[in-house]
Amino acid sequence: MRLFKQTLPVRALTLVLTLSGAFTSTLVNAQTTAITNATVYTATDKGILTNATVVIENGKITAINPPTISADIIVDAKGKILTPGFIGSMNQLGLVEVGAVSRTRDASDKKADITFDASLAFNPQSTVIPYSRKGGITRNVVTPRGGESMFKGHAFAVNLSASFNSVTDSETAVLLDLGSKSKGSRAYELQMLSHKLEDAAKKLTKLKNKSEDKGTKKKSEDEDKKDDEPKRDEIIINSLLAGEKPLLVYADRATDLLALIDLKKQFNLKLIIVGAADAELVSEQLAKENVSVILNALRNLPGSFDSLHTSLSSAANLTAAGVKVILSVNDTHNIYQLRFNAGNAIANGLSKKDALASITANVADSFALNTGRIAIGYDADLVLWSADPFELSSKVDKMWIIGEQVSTQSRQDALRHRYTTNSEMPRAYTK
Amino acid sequence: MIKVNTGKFTLSLLTIALSLSLSACLQSEMQDAKVTINKNPYPSTYQALPQQTTIIKNATVLTGTGQRLDNTDVLMVDGKVKQIGTVITAENAIEIDGSGKWLTPGIIDVHSHLGVYPSPSVESHSDGNEMTSPNTSDVWAEHSVWPQDPGFQAARAGGITTLQILPGSANLFGGRGVTLRNVPSHTTQGMKFPEAPYGLKMACGENPKRVYGSKDIAPATRMGNVAGYRSAWADATEYKRAWDKYEADYALGKNPKAPSRNLTNDTLKGVLDGEILIHNHCYKAEEMAVMVDIGKEFNYHSGTFHHGIEAYKIADLLAANGNCVAMWPDWWGFKMEAFDMVQENVAIVDAMKNSCAIVHSDSSTTIQRLNQEAGKVMYRANENGFALKEQDAIRWITLNAAKALGIDSRTGSLEVGKNADVVLWNQNPFSVYAHAEQVFIDGAKVYDRFDEKYQAKSDFMLGQPTIEQSKEKQLKHSMPTTEQGE
Repeated sequence: MRLFKQTLPVRALTLVLTLSGAFTSTLVNAQTTAITNATVYTATDKGILTNATVVIENGKITAINPPTISADIIVDAKGKILTPGFIGSMNQLGLVEVGAVSRTRDASDKKADITFDASLAFNPQSTVIPYSRKGGITRNVVTPRGGESMFKGHAFAVNLSASFNSVTDSETAVLLDLGSKSKGSRAYELQMLSHKLEDAAKKLTKLKNKSEDKGTKKKSEDEDKKDDEPKRDEIIINSLLAGEKPLLVYADRATDLLALIDLKKQFNLKLIIVGAADAELVSEQLAKENVSVILNALRNLPGSFDSLHTSLSSAANLTAAGVKVILSVNDTHNIYQLRFNAGNAIANGLSKKDALASITANVADSFALNTGRIAIGYDADLVLWSADPFELSSKVDKMWIIGEQVSTQSRQDALRHRYTTNSEMPRAYTK
Repeated sequence: MIKVNTGKFTLSLLTIALSLSLSACLQSEMQDAKVTINKNPYPSTYQALPQQTTIIKNATVLTGTGQRLDNTDVLMVDGKVKQIGTVITAENAIEIDGSGKWLTPGIIDVHSHLGVYPSPSVESHSDGNEMTSPNTSDVWAEHSVWPQDPGFQAARAGGITTLQILPGSANLFGGRGVTLRNVPSHTTQGMKFPEAPYGLKMACGENPKRVYGSKDIAPATRMGNVAGYRSAWADATEYKRAWDKYEADYALGKNPKAPSRNLTNDTLKGVLDGEILIHNHCYKAEEMAVMVDIGKEFNYHSGTFHHGIEAYKIADLLAANGNCVAMWPDWWGFKMEAFDMVQENVAIVDAMKNSCAIVHSDSSTTIQRLNQEAGKVMYRANENGFALKEQDAIRWITLNAAKALGIDSRTGSLEVGKNADVVLWNQNPFSVYAHAEQVFIDGAKVYDRFDEKYQAKSDFMLGQPTIEQSKEKQLKHSMPTTEQGE
C-alpha cells in the first residue's frame, strides 16, 4: 500500500480522494459513525458549528449535518468540542525510541544525502505513538536528521494508528539545513543550493530543447542517452523545480530567509521555512511569496546570533502579517504538547481560530496532506475533547484516525497503574 | 583523581600525626594563629530594589502552605509580608486591585543552568560542566554565571523570584550550586541569595559513567559510580576528622598544625558538617535507594533528588527518609534512565506523608512556565484518581522548593514576616493562558507586564537592532526598486 501511495504523481485533492478512497474501503470496515451534538471546530471558513453532526464512512468525513442521520455507531458528543486531529511535524517519531540508545536511532546516517528515505525505518510500534495521541495528534510529518550533507533527506508523513501501513507518504518534502555553521561559512551552502537548482534547471531546458529537436535530427548516440538519464538526486531536485513537493529548510537569520525567498522566486519552488527566528523582520516578503513558516511558539530566547528577534508573540505577529504559520514542538517524545504550544500562542495574541489552523489546516496545506479540516472528503482524523483543547486541564475524550477509533492508553498509564495499586505482592505481579 | 587525593591525604595525615605528638610534648609553647577557612569568600552583595509599601487587594491568594484564601488582601511593608486578611489599609501604600487575579508566592526553580549555559549558547559561554574529573567538588557554579544571560529576564516574566544554578551532571560530584535572587545585576554576588546554604551537585547513572567510561577512566559502570562516591566520602571523612581534631586541640590550648587545605574536600566536609545541601541528579528508583544509604553510611543527608523520573516507584522510602524530589511533568525518552516516566510522578511522590515534591525546569524555556508545568501534573493526576487543588500544586514550585534549598524560613510562602516574594497572576496560574502581571522580590517590584519601566534588559540585547528598525531600513532600501516595478 505504501509503495502505491508513494507513486501517486499528483497531489491534487480530487485525485487523492478517488484513489485512496477506493483503497481504504478494502481496509477499513464499512461501518458508518456519526458524531452528533458536537461543537465542531472545522478549521475551514465555516468556523465553529454548534450542535453539529459529523458522519464518517470508509475513513473519510462523508457528511456534515445531513438531513437524516443513519449510522452504525452514533456518538453523542454532548456539546463537547470536536476538532480535526492535530498534526505534529519536525520530529523523529518512530525513528527514535530512546534518544541515547544508539540501536533505537534511525534518523541519521553519516552518508545520508538528499535521497535519504528514513520512512523505511519507521516503527509504528514505538511507545511514543500512543503517548503522543494524548495530545490529540493523529498525523505527523517525521523529519530525518540526515548526515553530513546539507540535504537531510525526505520528510515523510505518518498517521498515528500504529498500524504497519501508517506511513501515508514517504516523500512529503525535501529537508535542508542552512544557516550558521560551527565550521565554514553559510555562504558556501547557499551557493551550493543555488548552483544545484540552476544546473538542474539548465539541464531540464537543454533536454526539453533536445527532445524538441529530435524530430529533425537523427537518433542520438548511446552516450548522449546515458547523459540524459537523470541521477537519483537530480530526480529529486527536478521534483522541487516542478513544484511537486516543498523544500523544507531550517533557517533563522533574516538574510538566509531572504536568500531562500529569492531562490523560491527564481525557480518557482514551494518553500517552507523551519525555525525562522527572524521571520518577523521579513514577514511581508514571506506573506507575499506564500512561504509557510514552522516555529515553536515558546522560542523567545536569543539562542544564537541568528535568532535575536524571536518572541512569544512571533506566531501572532506573523499570522497578522499574512504568513501561514505552523506550530511545532521539537521534542520527539513530547509531540503531545503541541496543543499547549498553541495555547501559549493564544495567550500571546494569536486567535483561537488561527491557533487551531496552525496545528491542523496550515500543516496539511503546506505538506499536501488530506487531513486537518472537518469537511467532506477529508480523512476522518478527529478528536473529541473534554473541554478547551488548548488548555492544560482538558483531555482527549475520544479520537479517530482515518475513521477508526483509537485509544490514548500508553505504557505510562500501565506504569502509573502498577505503582498506585495496593498489593501485598511485589509490584511485578500487578499488570 | 580520587586516587591522587587519597595519596595526598595519607601524607597530610602523617604530618598531622607528627605535629600532634610534637605539640603534646610542648604544651607550654605559644599557639600559632588559628587557621580558619573562610566559608563565604564571595559574599552576597544583593540589595533589594526600591521597596514601597504595597497592598494587593481582593485577590485569590494561594499561600504556598496548602491554603487558598479568596477575596484576600496582602500587605507588603519593608520587604516583608506584613499582613494577610481582608480590608487591610496602610498609610502611603500603593494599592493594586487584585479582583479576578491570583496571588502566589514567588516561584522558585531548584534546578536551573541560567548563566552557566546562557543564551546565546556560544562555545565561549559553555561553562556549566567541568568535565575534567569525576569529582570536581572544588568548582563553584557562581564562578561561571554570566549575569547578563537574557534568560534571567525571561524567567522573571514567568514569576521566578529565586533559583538555584547548578553545575551539569557529567561528574559524580559536579561542584557547588548557588541560589540566586532573580534580580538584574552585573555581578553574580549582586544576585546571591543572602545566607542561603550552598548546594553540592552530584550525579547518578548514565552521564558520569558515559563521560568517563568513554575516556577509560573510572567510573565506567553504575557500580563504578558508587565506588567513586564512597571513595570521595571516605576521603572527606578523614579530612573532616583532621580539621575537627585540629580545632579541638587548638581549643585545648595546644598548638596543632592545621591540615593542608583541599578545596574538593572543603565542599564535601561542608556536606558532612550539615552546611551544604546535596542536590543529586538521579533518575532511577534503585539508584536513589542506594544514594539514600550512602548518605547514612557517611553520615550526611542525601538531600534532594533531581530529575527523579522513577521517584514514584519509591515514594514511600523517599518521604520516610525526608528527601525532596524535583521532577519534570513529562520529559522522558531522551535516555534509557528516562524511559519509565509517568505524568503523575510528582503527585504520587506528593501523596506520601512528610513528602517534599517539587516541579523543576532544568530549562531556560520551561523555567518561564513552571506554573504550567505544575498545572499539567495536577490535571493529569486528577484524571487518574487524585483530588489535587491549586493550593496543593503551588507548593511544588514554592514552599517545597524553598525547603530543598534551605531557605524556607524566609521565602516560599505568603506568611506574615516572610520575604515579600510575590507574583500577581492575571488569572488562575495553572491555565495555559495565565500571565504573571507583576512580580515582587523582597517587596520591590521587579517586573510589570504592562510597564516597560519594570522590564529589565540584558546588556547583550541592548542596542541590537529591533524588528521595527530593521523593517524601516528594508523599506527605505526597497522603495526605489518597488517604484521601478518588477
